[in-house]
Amino acid sequence: MPLSAYLIVSAILFTVGVTGVLIRRNPLIIFMSIELMLNAVNLSFVAISSKLDSADGQMFVFLVLTVAAAEVVVGLAIIVSIFRTRRDIDVDDTNLLRG
Amino acid sequence: MTGIEIAFFVLAVASVASALGVILFRNAVNSALSLILTLLFLALFYLQLGAIFIAIVQILIYAGAIMVLFLFVVTMFASEASDTELQDRIPWQRWVAGILGLVLVGALSYLLFTGTAIDSSAIATGGSLSHVVNTQGNIEAFGLALFHGFAFPFEVTSLLIVVALLGALVLGRKA
Repeated sequence: MPLSAYLIVSAILFTVGVTGVLIRRNPLIIFMSIELMLNAVNLSFVAISSKLDSADGQMFVFLVLTVAAAEVVVGLAIIVSIFRTRRDIDVDDTNLLRG
Repeated sequence: MTGIEIAFFVLAVASVASALGVILFRNAVNSALSLILTLLFLALFYLQLGAIFIAIVQILIYAGAIMVLFLFVVTMFASEASDTELQDRIPWQRWVAGILGLVLVGALSYLLFTGTAIDSSAIATGGSLSHVVNTQGNIEAFGLALFHGFAFPFEVTSLLIVVALLGALVLGRKA
């Protein structure tokens, strides 16, 4: 398959993630859309790495994966503490950094 | 059409469809399961591209560990988080978001089709990957690249994980 085919799939997945962040009001689903965007970029990293016959792209995917894991841990902890202090979950209401 | 092309198109359609499921399902549990499906399809893409180690890590860490964490939080707040879609305060937001998404995918496709082609002779920094994979194996090639060219980022990653661990502890304790 040509490289551009993989890049097109990656672009479509990234756009789906962006649209999810824009249209959903549930913070958990917004978070999943961010994961979708990270994975779309990972796909283009792997495709380009395979096309260029170099391991560098796969290294970047590995590092992105660790950063994503750390991000999920901290982000979910923040969401849980927001859920604990206030019952409603609309992201439009949660616009202050203090209680 | 060769088998690789058929596999590619099936995977492409399936991954985009399950990605749409993530953002369109009402229930957050369904969205999380759909995201797991997308991650598995992406792992199959990685297998097709020859990145075996990345595919296995994707299944074990992403579809396994990270999504289990997600499902824990989703089910913890299932009653609040999923049953009804919250009403939109800005009614035209969805339409604008849809149009902007179409503009983004159009712009990205335009750039991909008209941009400069990647010249595979221009780079090849650390020797060719396929040669190392053929002589030593996939994991060996990955490990060599990780501990030779990327040793410092790898060590910084451990610091990042410690910081994330402490952050989750501080945020998660009873206030």
